[in-house]
Amino acid sequence: MAQAAPVIQPDLELTYEVPEQVTLLTDAWRRIRRNRLALVGGVIIVLLFVVALISIVWTPYPTWLQAVGPTYQPPSAAHPLGLDQAGRDILSRIMGGALITIQVGIGSAIILCLIGIPLGLLAGFYRGKVDTIISFFINIWYGIPDLLVALILVFVLSDALHLIPRGVLVIVIAFSLTRWMDVARLVRGQALALREREFVEAARMSGARDAALLFRHIFPNALGPIIVQATFAIPAAVLFEAFLSFLGLGLPPPTPSWGAMASDGYHGMDFAPHIVLAPTIALSITLMAFNWLGDGLRDAFDPRMRR
Amino acid sequence: MTAQPAQPSITPTSDPTLKTPLVRVENLVKHFPVGGGLFGRAVVHAVDGVDLAIAAGETLGLVGESGCGKSTLGRVIVRLQPATSGHVYFEDIDLTKVRGEKLRRTRQRIQMIFQDPYASLNPRMTVGDIVSEPLRNFGVAKGRKAEQKVQEVMRVVGLNPNFVNRYPHEFSGGQRQRIGIARALVLNPTFIVADEPVSALDVSIQAQIVNLMEDLQSRFNLTFLFIAHDLSVVRHISDRVAVMYLGKIVEIGPSDSIRDKPLHPYTKVLESSVPVPDPDLEAARKPILLKGEIPSPVNPPQACRFHTRCPIAQPICSEVEPPLEMKETGRFAACHFAGQL
Amino acid sequence: MQDLRVQFDVSGGPITAVDGINFEIDRGEIVGIVGESGSGKTMTALSLLRLIPEPGKITSGRILYGEKDVVEMTDEEIREFRGNEVAMIFQDPMTSLNPVLRVGFQVEEAMAAHSRFTRKQAHDRVVPMLQRVRIPAAKDRVRDYPHQFSGGMRQRAMIAMGVSNEPSLLIADEPTTALDVTVQASIIELLRDLSRELRAAVILITHNMALVASLCNRVIVMYAGRIVEQGPTRAIFKNPQHPYTWSLLRSMPRVDEVEKERLISIKGLPPDLGRMPPGCKFHPRCKFRVDRCLTEEPPLGEVGPGQDARCWVLMKNIENPEAEALK
Repeated sequence: MAQAAPVIQPDLELTYEVPEQVTLLTDAWRRIRRNRLALVGGVIIVLLFVVALISIVWTPYPTWLQAVGPTYQPPSAAHPLGLDQAGRDILSRIMGGALITIQVGIGSAIILCLIGIPLGLLAGFYRGKVDTIISFFINIWYGIPDLLVALILVFVLSDALHLIPRGVLVIVIAFSLTRWMDVARLVRGQALALREREFVEAARMSGARDAALLFRHIFPNALGPIIVQATFAIPAAVLFEAFLSFLGLGLPPPTPSWGAMASDGYHGMDFAPHIVLAPTIALSITLMAFNWLGDGLRDAFDPRMRR
Repeated sequence: MTAQPAQPSITPTSDPTLKTPLVRVENLVKHFPVGGGLFGRAVVHAVDGVDLAIAAGETLGLVGESGCGKSTLGRVIVRLQPATSGHVYFEDIDLTKVRGEKLRRTRQRIQMIFQDPYASLNPRMTVGDIVSEPLRNFGVAKGRKAEQKVQEVMRVVGLNPNFVNRYPHEFSGGQRQRIGIARALVLNPTFIVADEPVSALDVSIQAQIVNLMEDLQSRFNLTFLFIAHDLSVVRHISDRVAVMYLGKIVEIGPSDSIRDKPLHPYTKVLESSVPVPDPDLEAARKPILLKGEIPSPVNPPQACRFHTRCPIAQPICSEVEPPLEMKETGRFAACHFAGQL
Repeated sequence: MQDLRVQFDVSGGPITAVDGINFEIDRGEIVGIVGESGSGKTMTALSLLRLIPEPGKITSGRILYGEKDVVEMTDEEIREFRGNEVAMIFQDPMTSLNPVLRVGFQVEEAMAAHSRFTRKQAHDRVVPMLQRVRIPAAKDRVRDYPHQFSGGMRQRAMIAMGVSNEPSLLIADEPTTALDVTVQASIIELLRDLSRELRAAVILITHNMALVASLCNRVIVMYAGRIVEQGPTRAIFKNPQHPYTWSLLRSMPRVDEVEKERLISIKGLPPDLGRMPPGCKFHPRCKFRVDRCLTEEPPLGEVGPGQDARCWVLMKNIENPEAEALK
């Protein structure tokens, strides 16, 4: 543009209308603060993280140490949650279990997204054959009994083939491989809708290449719903791990998994209920906290934009 | 009748009054399938054989009612949507044929301004990022140079350059439309398609944008295709006006002569339907009311598409389709009885 | 002939959407309320029916309908009043019709819900009502669903519902904004005919000045919740005194314009209702302001026969306003 004298006068609106600076994230934050349950959920989750972090460096007793006192001892001053059937300190094991829970939950959410997001983006953005193939797999995967297949996967990967040692990683992988479809389907729908939006067309007119369209324009605008979906995947993964461990098919002893702990106390339920109650209550509170937070996030990231 | 001896072979693309056509649209067709592939072969005839030429430096207005295909035509011309058949020549490039990197390169010179100033800006990007994106995509300018360019363009469109770090939702509709215009201008394009750029704005803001576009055109010698449903705005801003009905152009001509004497009955009806802000004139005017409803573009009427609602339709109108041909110098109409309403 | 009088003096909460509005309307009269979005024109109309959405409320003023004050009515009275005396037509006919019920049934319901007609009478009146709003082949179309109607036909059906109880006041809120111009023209013709046939008062709320010129006897121009100018249509269009009215009339191109003059644009934006400027609410955008406008809000004063304007300057005192405005 030449250095021509400015023909066009700047408008008065510049001086009068100074908009307040509100980013979308601060806006979502404002709305989530108004949602009490979500806030409670958030606080619980933060506490869970803190406990898990502490358990790495310190627990009252080592989580594996047996016979720190009489077996089946009910809660007391020395052991606030009592001792289990092997005389291990339950509080220490709950703390250690928090770490396992977080590793399983967050790990699954991340791997789930790593599988689901690219597939969903590709299907929704390129449509046509790519979409047909990916959607076909999504539907097939929905048809398989996920729990059963995840169980078999854990078995095959660690026991039969010895590819991955039995532990958090194999559970996370088995879970993600059977539950990535929700995220993929959600992202596909978002991408399908967003690629028709005017700002994406405008970017196309601006000469944006496909990668730029996908990662600068479509993905950031689908992020809200993805976060919500991932938040709901966390409790599902936690529950899956607890379930496997309860059946004795999950983490090997003496890993302090809440599911395994509940299973341990199962036989002494009539005379020492605290062994079962402690891990189940911890598990329930954690699941509820993630669900509340997820609900709050869903409201906060309501697809309808401000104004 | 004042129509001159017919020269039936002259179509809008061979208009002798246009010296240097920048864009030529030849027999452009765009059909959309509806109802999916399983249920029959129903297609929407959104654009159905359009001939058009736009001279360098002019503003061509494209007017029509909702569903007439004017937005689709604009989108096919800039290749946001592929054509079903026909050609769009931009200088010597056939835009319907180029693909991939070559298509991307043409967009350095063809830009678009969108209707909805709320939907056309990425809510996750700052104004500075939005306006500078074309520069980065084409590697035209980087860093300080890009920043300077962005500030310059923002000043040109009447935006405070200090707002580069703000997000679109912090601005009003008029300001957002200016951001969209800044984005379209930053690459110094030669041809801009503006799709209903003012219809989403408040009345007092529309004039700001219309004036801005006029200023920009004279300052940067732009060629505009201005699409709108409002005949008065289109006539005001355009040198020539094309009127569209059900996927076809029914009339093209200089905007003054279209006001003085519309040739196609539909143009006349449109003009008479727009109220004038003058109570005395309004008392004397009587809108020509159309009978019936606009037919579905899935199943448009045979021959002349307007014959089902035309006040002066004759039997021939439902049998023979009138071609869009030159009736007077520089004036085209697709009607057997042009100028008779 | 019943004397219909509407008076308001409304202000709502900390954010004042409508502030101190006074006007009256008689039977057979068509009054246009013109303003941009946020000017308070829709709120004014909704308060006539006491339909202001939460958390808004009428904090002061009276709305007199005949001898009755709408603000003081009991809930039962207001319900009867809404159906029988006043009808409202909204902008978007698609969202105001229930998509799963037949159009004819919805018109019938509108009548049966109020006490003027029995169910039987209401049923028999449906087809005549649809014919009255010029829906072609009304007999066959009563059994159609809303999605089978075009936009213009849906708006006609809405009007049929509105006028089915023979109201004495019809409020049309942007009735043609969602429609094409050729359809708009026919809806405007219909409203004109109906006001004559029913001898009803009509309030047309719109942002389109030209529409007002073609239909209304009287015009009220609103800005920032206030009436800035009102008067007979002819006076307002030929001799506008408030700079806002004057600029609005010159900001839109006319379809019959001969010389392409530069449009007079109004700079800036309408004020945020929460952060009103001091003095005259239009002064930040006004090209003719004087010092007094910055501090003191002008009253709505008489400027001609039946014409009032809220301005310290008045356009008649300005020489060559076009040149001044384009500067």
